Amino acid sequence: MGPLPTSRPSRLRFWMVCGLVLALAIPLQLLTDAGLFPAILNPYYLHLLTIIGMNIILVASLNLLNGYLGEFALGHAGFMAVGAYAAATLAAKVLPASGALPPILGTVLTLGLTLAGAMLAAALVGYLVGLVTFKTVGDYLAIITLGFNMIIVNAIQNIDALGGPRGFTGIPRNTTFLAVIVCTVLTVAILRNLVQSSFGRVWVSIRENAIAAELMGVDLNRAKNQAFTIAAAFAGLAGGLWAQYQQFITPRSFDYIKTTEILVMLYLGGMASLSGSILGVVAYTLLMELLRNLLSAFAPQFAEWRMLISPLILIVIMLTRQFGLMGNREWSWLRPERES
Amino acid sequence: MDTVIQQLFNAAQLGAVYALIALGYSMVYGIIRLINFAHGDIFMLGGFIGLLLTTHLGWLPFYLMMPLAMLLTALAGVAIERVAYRRLRHAQRMSVVITTLGVGIFLENLVRLTVGPETRQLPARLPTAPVLWLQNTLGAFVTWDKLLIILLSLALMAILWLVINKTLVGTAMRAVADNKDVVPLMGVNLNLIIAATFAIGSALAAAGGIFYGQAYSIDPYMGIDLGWKAFIAAVIGGIGSIEGAVLGSFLLAGVEVLTVAYLSSNLKNGIAFGLLILLLLVWPSGIMGKPMLKKV
Repeated sequence: MGPLPTSRPSRLRFWMVCGLVLALAIPLQLLTDAGLFPAILNPYYLHLLTIIGMNIILVASLNLLNGYLGEFALGHAGFMAVGAYAAATLAAKVLPASGALPPILGTVLTLGLTLAGAMLAAALVGYLVGLVTFKTVGDYLAIITLGFNMIIVNAIQNIDALGGPRGFTGIPRNTTFLAVIVCTVLTVAILRNLVQSSFGRVWVSIRENAIAAELMGVDLNRAKNQAFTIAAAFAGLAGGLWAQYQQFITPRSFDYIKTTEILVMLYLGGMASLSGSILGVVAYTLLMELLRNLLSAFAPQFAEWRMLISPLILIVIMLTRQFGLMGNREWSWLRPERES
Repeated sequence: MDTVIQQLFNAAQLGAVYALIALGYSMVYGIIRLINFAHGDIFMLGGFIGLLLTTHLGWLPFYLMMPLAMLLTALAGVAIERVAYRRLRHAQRMSVVITTLGVGIFLENLVRLTVGPETRQLPARLPTAPVLWLQNTLGAFVTWDKLLIILLSLALMAILWLVINKTLVGTAMRAVADNKDVVPLMGVNLNLIIAATFAIGSALAAAGGIFYGQAYSIDPYMGIDLGWKAFIAAVIGGIGSIEGAVLGSFLLAGVEVLTVAYLSSNLKNGIAFGLLILLLLVWPSGIMGKPMLKKV
């Protein structure tokens, strides 16, 4: 494949947005840590943004499988669990001595190593799941990935060294807001470049017509396996961040309820669209928080009823906008150069 | 020896409940190729309607309460299909599947907020005395309610078999499953047949919910767990096949009960799902399912 005709502005704009997010995140972290302007910069907002960042990594990586590759994978929380437990083990049992290093260097080094371990472990599991799902498509692939999610959770429940069903405690808190934002920006940048490269175009071609793609010389199994491995690695990254943010993880928090939550945000935002993944996560998280705050302010006895509103919103969106908010479309700064 | 027979009865009871749920999955999939992920929650709803009827209309005998609960749940199932799924019948499949997930979460939270999150037990309305005849001949301790649940479930399945194979509605259902585009041209009201499928599936699930509440206990989130298990059973048997759903249910329940009895209850889910993956690798379309043809 020859190089695509490029127009500089789009690429430039993308890196400018990434740079802007990072440039805003650094003072935000420093000022909040210092306790300045507590009314505007309170830790609660920082916590919300951290959750949003981790969810963007999860949803965008699932979008590789469910959006670009066009499969219906139902086991993303399983990959997240592998990453979370790998990072937790590394942070709590293998690398606890990193406190001896100077503070910033020590944190960066520990986070880097634990997250690399988390991504590697999850990628390995994703590769294996990809191998097993070769023979299946559609509904059956959905079931097998779901089955793997359950098996991973069940296996962790039966391993005493990981805390079993009681959960893994005593994980050091290495994840900061800034670290999550850096990881989120990196993830979005890598995924954007991936889906616009020949890799991503191969995935889309499989989604559109697998037989035609095969006739054009695409190795279906290999392409599918690459997608599974990469998506799992990023889910593992989110898991690793999550484990070192919460400091406590249980196998049950990675079962199909978590997978469903990721799916809801993905489909709310829209398939095969990184803008959609970002928008879906932000909209869903903010909406839930807003509903909670509004209800507890005006009608505290109905505070729990927001749990009813979120599925209703999902249903209404599916009935009125089948492809989600941004299905198959991108914001201009995320669009491939040829199309902008 | 006697404990093996007791375990088999336990497995049959669990398998009967799985089968009552799995049949709804399989029928809906057979007719409109939709995995209705809200079906497990219909089962939960049926159990809670049974609970409300028994507590508020205590004078109602069990054999009237159950058909009434089945009827109400069937109405709920038809209403859900009408409001949430019908408009998406020609949409891309993932939007419908996501809608079913949304309906499921909605039902769970609705019951949790209105009835409460506690685990409850349906007031026992079936005799719980041991079956003396079985105790004397086989030496197995089996209570009447367990035996009745198994027998009533089998009776419902037999009725379903008759409806599908011997009545006009059943013939139309099989025809729709075979070719959804041609059948309306023959003067069959497609919407009516699909509604009937949802009604029958929901009614069976309600029966399953009531039996489950009698035998074990019910809570607003039980539909997730039981629903997935029944779904696996339907897939193992070959989704879309009625006989397959029943066979898969008893197979899965057997494996689960025996795992809990002789290995460890912690391994239950892992073994159930491992079995699922192994079976699908050997029979990619289930034991009794039709192999899917790929058209070029």
